[in-house]
Amino acid sequence: MLKIRSLNVAYGGLKALNDVSLDVEEGQFVAVVGPNGAGKTTLFKTISGVVAPLSGEITYRGQDLLAVPAEERAMLGIAHVPEGRQVFASMTVMENLEMGALTKKGRARWHQLLPTIFELFPVLAERREQLAGTLSGGEQQMVAIGRGLASAPDLLMLDEPSMGLAPAVVDSIFDRVELIHREQGLTILLVEQRVAEALELCDRGYVLETGNMVLEGPHDTLVSNAQVRRAYLGM
Amino acid sequence: MEALEWHIIDFFQALAAGLLVGGTYGLMCVGLGIIFGVMRVVNFAQGDFMMLGMYVTYYLVTGFGVLAFLGPYAGPVVGAALAGPIVFCVGWLVHRYLMSRVTGARVVTAEAEGHYTQIIMTLGIALILSNGGLILFGSVPLSVRTPLSSESWEIGEVFLNQARGVAFILAVVAAFGLYLFLTRSTLGKSLRAAADNPVAAAYVGVNVDRCHRFAFALGVGVTAIAGGLIASSQSFQPYIGFDFVIVMYAGVVLGGMGSILGAFWGGLTIGLVQQMSTLILPYQLQNTAIFVVFLLIVFFKPQGMFGRVWERT
Repeated sequence: MLKIRSLNVAYGGLKALNDVSLDVEEGQFVAVVGPNGAGKTTLFKTISGVVAPLSGEITYRGQDLLAVPAEERAMLGIAHVPEGRQVFASMTVMENLEMGALTKKGRARWHQLLPTIFELFPVLAERREQLAGTLSGGEQQMVAIGRGLASAPDLLMLDEPSMGLAPAVVDSIFDRVELIHREQGLTILLVEQRVAEALELCDRGYVLETGNMVLEGPHDTLVSNAQVRRAYLGM
Repeated sequence: MEALEWHIIDFFQALAAGLLVGGTYGLMCVGLGIIFGVMRVVNFAQGDFMMLGMYVTYYLVTGFGVLAFLGPYAGPVVGAALAGPIVFCVGWLVHRYLMSRVTGARVVTAEAEGHYTQIIMTLGIALILSNGGLILFGSVPLSVRTPLSSESWEIGEVFLNQARGVAFILAVVAAFGLYLFLTRSTLGKSLRAAADNPVAAAYVGVNVDRCHRFAFALGVGVTAIAGGLIASSQSFQPYIGFDFVIVMYAGVVLGGMGSILGAFWGGLTIGLVQQMSTLILPYQLQNTAIFVVFLLIVFFKPQGMFGRVWERT
């Protein structure tokens, strides 16, 4: 579905991604894990078109994604839930979700999707008229994920949904993400600093360190990998 | 006893005048508020676009008399309303060929987010408009003639100038229409989303650059309507923009930078302050009173009346 080949990205001479390749197959849950500053967010921004790469290829369902302007990539069925929540703070929860449904598919399926989003995150239904900026961090994360789901995406990209949230909140967010993947069969690409949780959920994982993909493989291989166990899982 | 009665009448007279003037100021400020809110650009040329709106109204109504068939009552009103779309088009072109070079996604990484170049650009546009106006329109003060400006409604002892009254009603209608547009329509919501968070807006499929262009054109168009409405109760010349840009900024800051609704209330307040100040201060100090209020707001409540309190920066 999503194919990235030898992607190179730099910020003013500083290399952020070095020859990165990645594959996401239809229906898979793929996780990219790695420490802070590994280039995970840069990878996402490049997929979304906010950052332009130096070289490399990104194809989405056979289409050259780099030739598509950023705002049109959402229309292709890619929903990017950005890191640090990034809700539309001065707009209500409902308006935030409506903004997610700007895509043609999202608009067409709005009346089906809204109840499922509210079912996943009942607190959003309660607070639908509240300004998103006044919500708690966990609730804002739910708005951001809900906004992504409202676009009726084929690929949901989640950038560190755990960031800055209390552990209990993180657990419930991860539960929801797993539910979305399991029940709706949605393809998910997750980047996470919380390696244990992310690897537990994924079908396939990648380990990114200072801009380089150092490891990749299916779920079982990664969790049993000695290096991963020692460095990230503390075993 | 009689003296006190006159003071009370003066008070209500100033209050009424302040409200009427404030309505058009409010609309004017909303125009600037849209541009600042969505683009985060400090537009010094806003007053000159307003001046453009005044001249467009003048030439439609009096100069070339295109709208003469509408008669002396409806003509100026329709003229002001038409100044909106005409200046909207001018704003669109100005953004397309000038503003877009110094704003938008490409300058976010520039020094001070590109504000230096933006300030120089808008100042340049302001100078070109005002001096271009001087060449094209001449320096003789003009006004849009309407019989309404010399008629008034009497409510008790208080006189309401009819030209200002009509301008007030139209300004409120236009501002309310804009409010509905921004809160109900998809395009309006997209503008607000782009204002709140341009990057997240791009992620959901909003074309942020196009939103900026629309916001700039809409903002100057709205201010031009306000200018056209004022033109029938005040004389103007090509340099009038500078006087009003101060009023507009005071209104926008008062309402809370970035709050489009707040800009209207800010403008209304400025109108009230300006007119009410004449009760205790000499006429010449009207604008000084605005500045005093402006400074008090910046000092005690820098986020303004409707500022973005939820931003924790």
